[in-house]
Amino acid sequence: MDSPAPTAQSLDVRHGFTPDGGSTLELRFDSHPDHVPDVRRALEHFAARAGFSQHVAADVGLSVNEALANVLRHAYRGAHGKPVVITAEYATESSSGQSASGALRVTIRDWGSGVNPAASPTPPRDPLKPGGVGLICMRRLMDQVTFAPQPDGMLLTMIKRNEQGAVP
Amino acid sequence: MSQLNSGSDLVPSARQDGDTLVFEFRGEIDLHNSPELRTAVLDLVVKANPKRLVLNLAQVPYMDSSGIAVLVELLSRLRRAGGKVFLTNLQPRVQSILQIARLDTIFTVTADEAAALSK
Repeated sequence: MDSPAPTAQSLDVRHGFTPDGGSTLELRFDSHPDHVPDVRRALEHFAARAGFSQHVAADVGLSVNEALANVLRHAYRGAHGKPVVITAEYATESSSGQSASGALRVTIRDWGSGVNPAASPTPPRDPLKPGGVGLICMRRLMDQVTFAPQPDGMLLTMIKRNEQGAVP
Repeated sequence: MSQLNSGSDLVPSARQDGDTLVFEFRGEIDLHNSPELRTAVLDLVVKANPKRLVLNLAQVPYMDSSGIAVLVELLSRLRRAGGKVFLTNLQPRVQSILQIARLDTIFTVTADEAAALSK
């Protein structure tokens, strides 16, 4: 996903479908904490529409919230007006009978420092010192969390599987 | 018992009873408003220097790690002064992130304000 950084902008939401019937969501916005609530709710809504329970959809929202907070605080070091692009795609996998499992794939692209938070050594956690909670949440609540450094930033991919077979 | 003015909609009620401060927080707390919450409560805590801080989170359906960081900062400050922080009326999503961060055992969690004030 080595691509030119898009122009910073306020929140732009686009819904779509994949050729095989899956649903997609794309959010483009500028780095600013004011976008955090709307972005979280958009991902929660998307996950719920895809068939996840409200509880799991909330977990997805919190994970995206924490990932975005890391981008704002660390990748962009608090600078406003920098581009962020989030995509979400839900695809079902065919299986026997009426049930079908599926997976939600969320990517978060920034054009910031490119520092890989997963590559930093993890010191013994002191609960009374701030930091690290966001990454713990993401790893605990999502099935897969992968940071892929880019020449000009970072691409984070998070996957949540839906084993319950709920079909939208 | 005296009422205090936090100056923030996120803290609609703040009152002092002796060396105890009781705050009610309201709303979804995340990175966009946690700095406001931090300023509002720290100002009152620094002025009152309480030994006990009771945080009623009945009207907080959601909190991210930046909100948790505010709670931890309050806890650290109170502990340095030999005080305690009580969290009451935790909603499921707030309880969940506290458990994930393994902070649910660091704070004193009670069902409601009365239980906290009786300790």
